[in-house]
Amino acid sequence: MRIIRYSPPTTRSCSPAYRRYARSPWAGLESEIDRLFTSSLGNEAGPSSTKVPVDLYEDKDNAYVRAELPGINRDNIAIEIVDGSLAINATRKVKEGEKEQSYTYARSVSVPDSVDADKVGAVYENGVLTITLPKHEASKPKKITVAVK
Amino acid sequence: MSLFNTINPSACCTATPRNEATRTEGSVQKPVYQVTESDDAYELTVNLPGVAKDGLEVTSDAGEIRVVGRRAWSRPKGWTSLHRESAEATYELVLTHENAINSEKIGAELSDGALQVTLPKTEKVKPRKITVN
Repeated sequence: MRIIRYSPPTTRSCSPAYRRYARSPWAGLESEIDRLFTSSLGNEAGPSSTKVPVDLYEDKDNAYVRAELPGINRDNIAIEIVDGSLAINATRKVKEGEKEQSYTYARSVSVPDSVDADKVGAVYENGVLTITLPKHEASKPKKITVAVK
Repeated sequence: MSLFNTINPSACCTATPRNEATRTEGSVQKPVYQVTESDDAYELTVNLPGVAKDGLEVTSDAGEIRVVGRRAWSRPKGWTSLHRESAEATYELVLTHENAINSEKIGAELSDGALQVTLPKTEKVKPRKITVN
């Protein structure tokens, strides 16, 4: 077996017939490969995608749930806490020509027992829903000073 | 792309020229979008949750529509992240078209993290009724 050094093809080594066309014969293939890559790596599902990405945060007083729900009317967002699980339901109405199409988003997150379900608050801003779940007084970290005699 | 160009140098001349100077720095995420077409215009809907009006840029260049959205929110101090599903990357969407859009009449509206861009078609590509004598 012989090892031959690879030399990249030049325009001259390609068939001269190619030069007659303004576009390279590869141009279509190239954009198709690009499209396949971006569609498999990126999210090209369109607004009909009903995934709700959720982030969970915590500080010493509250737990926070941030859900991405773009383009939804505040009246169409429902938040419920049942049996230690927080359910977010939202409906998005999109006008498509004369018809109106609606998409339903649903997501549920389990909530720790330490959350005071009566004091839950929610803010919807720039298409992101932030739910504040205050912790029970009992479960907050407490500083106890013990006197040593 | 660049790999392909090094293998086949003849393809590099036909590749879409990209303006490197205007490209966003840092990590970039492609937002979810949809394009619908009517007789007069194309409607582009882009989901940009977390983007306020200040952080949004819509630019129209020759044959290219670019949407860049920077998230307005950042994690306050004292918040511990327990679980993450969203990214902090800047949204960037570049769509190319065949100059069939009247770039002077492009309208854009951002409400609750959803961007609606109206791209009116130029007169020459609109469907025309031809009267037969």
